[in-house]
Amino acid sequence: MTTQVAAQDRGDGDPTRAHTGSRATRGLGLVVLAGLVALVLLAFFAAPPDDEQGDAVRLIFIHVPSAILTYVAFFTTAAGSAMWLWKRSSWWDITAHAAAEIGVMFCALTLFTGSIWGRPTWNTYWDWGDVRLVTTLILFLLMVGYLVVRSSGGDDPAVSTRAAIVGLLAAINIPIVNRSVEWWFDRTLHQKASLTDGKLEDLTLFTLVFGLVVGLLFFVWAMIHRFRVGWLEHQARAEDLDEALEARRSEAAAAGSSASGGEA
Amino acid sequence: MTTESNLTPQDPRPTRQRRRVIPLVAAGALVAGVMLLIWNLVSGSLYFYNADEAVARRSELGAERFVLQGSPIGCSIVESALGSETVVAFSLSFGGRTVDVVHRGDPADLFQPDVPVVLDGNWVEGSPEVEGFAGMAGDGWYFASDRMRVKHDNDYRNDEDYEQRLQQSEAQAATGGCS
Repeated sequence: MTTQVAAQDRGDGDPTRAHTGSRATRGLGLVVLAGLVALVLLAFFAAPPDDEQGDAVRLIFIHVPSAILTYVAFFTTAAGSAMWLWKRSSWWDITAHAAAEIGVMFCALTLFTGSIWGRPTWNTYWDWGDVRLVTTLILFLLMVGYLVVRSSGGDDPAVSTRAAIVGLLAAINIPIVNRSVEWWFDRTLHQKASLTDGKLEDLTLFTLVFGLVVGLLFFVWAMIHRFRVGWLEHQARAEDLDEALEARRSEAAAAGSSASGGEA
Repeated sequence: MTTESNLTPQDPRPTRQRRRVIPLVAAGALVAGVMLLIWNLVSGSLYFYNADEAVARRSELGAERFVLQGSPIGCSIVESALGSETVVAFSLSFGGRTVDVVHRGDPADLFQPDVPVVLDGNWVEGSPEVEGFAGMAGDGWYFASDRMRVKHDNDYRNDEDYEQRLQQSEAQAATGGCS
């Protein structure tokens, strides 16, 4: 499979000049930055406070998009893992790895913002009895486990296979996390989904959807860059292997010719 | 390149050792994670008893600590003090049953009428001795709580009458208007 990587085209053979940016990604990055500024203004100044929660509700504009993007990222990892196991395609393997790293970041952000939102609203940072909270933490730990497995060896196909199995097992937990507040609706501290239940309106709804769009654009931007880094690493290792094989062949050839020369 | 072979036994390469250990640690963590998940899903179904279930299981629960959930009844809320400690007494309801509660300590920031609370504590036989509190359960038991969480809902639509309703509820509580 051929993949266009900006760094290949722009490096001009000099690895110190290699980078993963392109005109499109720089444009996308600027859009994300502008979106983040607009999101901060909307979330902290324009959107109204909640009747019950007051200003604490503003955390919803970070927490909910982070949670949704966690699902998107880990589903991407699961899809990439399945495709690796089926097709043995490095493209999918690198996609799965890139999505897992970004997903772990979003999942950490979800847990962190949920925790600091919980203190003024629930009166606690954390509750071990709550299914939504604990299943989310388990999802986070499983995906950290995925990254630990990946860290055990660069391009080793066996490592990719082990990681793919972990990625697929972790994905089983995603619908459990998402549906837990419905399945245990009268047994959880965590409230049910607001976005799909139509419990948001006007500027609050707009800001949340806007935050989700900005988050998605950031996810795409980060995926492109992380994928390109992974692809370059993959190619560099392949080139190193080719060079090493070539060197061994040359040495063997040289040793063979000197041996035959000595016999003669 | 030398043509002599070095047959001296070598120490195992640390990278290979590390590569064998990491999958084992990861596999152990994975098994632990899945077990924790299953435990959480099973125990999650018993995280708290709603007020009607707690009343039905009173004899079974005895003095055992458990978690109770229900909605505070606005007109029953009385804030008092026992020594230097703040005490909040109120009645809560769920599933058509009412439970009297005495909570020791400051109430949660969002504690208010009709917003469900999740409380840690145990059943106590007798009447709550909090000045000004007339429990609505009237069954000779109350729930002694020492930890309160607020279980707010998922509705973020602002209610134009919210402030008015809150003031009415507070005024009703101040006059002991539970009748």
